[in-house]
Amino acid sequence: MFDLPTANIGGPDLFVLEFGDIVAYFSPYTAALFVFALIFTVLVIVSRPERQVDIAFGGDAYYTKVVDPDLLRFQRFMAIACGLATLGAMVTGDVFNFTLFASMVGITNIGIVAAYRNRHVLNAAFQYGIVAMLATVPLFGGAAIVLSSTGTLSMWELFTAAVTVPLIAKAFLVLGVMGEGMAPFYIAKAEITRAQGAPFILMVHVSSLLLFLRVTEIVISM
Amino acid sequence: MDIAYPVGLIVVAVAIIIGFAALVREKDDLHRILLTDLAEILALVLIALVATDLAEALILPGLVVGISELMAVSEVYIAKEGLRAPTGPPFRIEVMDSAPGILALILVAYGIVLSGFTGGAIAAVGAVFYFMCRGHAEQFELIETVSGYAWAFWIGAFFIFMFLPAYWFFAVMIAGGAILIKVMAKMSLVGTMRRGGPDV
Repeated sequence: MFDLPTANIGGPDLFVLEFGDIVAYFSPYTAALFVFALIFTVLVIVSRPERQVDIAFGGDAYYTKVVDPDLLRFQRFMAIACGLATLGAMVTGDVFNFTLFASMVGITNIGIVAAYRNRHVLNAAFQYGIVAMLATVPLFGGAAIVLSSTGTLSMWELFTAAVTVPLIAKAFLVLGVMGEGMAPFYIAKAEITRAQGAPFILMVHVSSLLLFLRVTEIVISM
Repeated sequence: MDIAYPVGLIVVAVAIIIGFAALVREKDDLHRILLTDLAEILALVLIALVATDLAEALILPGLVVGISELMAVSEVYIAKEGLRAPTGPPFRIEVMDSAPGILALILVAYGIVLSGFTGGAIAAVGAVFYFMCRGHAEQFELIETVSGYAWAFWIGAFFIFMFLPAYWFFAVMIAGGAILIKVMAKMSLVGTMRRGGPDV
């Protein structure tokens, strides 16, 4: 099997899975991210959601909020889908597939948050959805500019020294992932610490963190 | 790449600036959904500008992502605003009482003449129009059965192409008829799908 063109960033390739031109690969870097995402996906699958606890101020009283099981089921499904999309984004060797996985993470993130029937949370989810939809413009635009300027989308070609990717395409990619990965926009609203469903909301953070790490590797290697 | 690509890029850049400026100015949530849909189209235009076969193949996933995000955001909007389906009398105009039979017949007949995918779409428009005007009983199983047989015929036609290429005309006729029925059945189902009631 052929080696990664730039082994000094992601490390040497460990395992390569070829689908024709599209090569999914594990380097030590992406494998670490993959295992991290896998652990959290398994946690989401097996864990039982916790109840949100409110403590009455100035006394010993506290109460737990009752959570509708139907909404939790939907939230769990969305969190698992988000984990799977993150797994895909970690190992793909194709720029366009990466953008598609990133936008899938964006959609599932909206789903995770919107499962909570609270007006403020829904409002925030709506605003985030607008941002995520707008982010597809730079995301797909970046991939399209990569394609038009280099003639390929395969990372195995793009990582070689012979191919130079214009700076604007890299900037677009990072901008798009910023919009799709939810946390940077959503963390600014305090709702993220108030919304229910502990392991599921966590998936929002995990997926966006991993997406950022991966896009950093891609942009530096290109 | 000749001059067309840079010029197209500039045009798209101007369009993006206009679209995003409109989004910044717009305050109504429903209008903002529509404007973001416009922005999605610009992303597709950016891909389409590359103008190769690969770009053509990439448009479809881009479109699917855009539509699914639009649907998700729309659902969030509906939940956020607490909107419900209207319960008032269904939409009715005079032509819906007098014309459906003859119009549906014309469209279906024209679709059969065209045959193939386009014919299926046109015939389905006729069927959908009929269902819309006259209502429908639950005949989904029948439509699905017909659709399944049509699929089997379609595959059978491909086997004729592969193993008995001398009979290609026969296979074309089978495949054309089968895809006509298949597309028509699918789109008729779409036409009757809304809320499942006889009143569309």
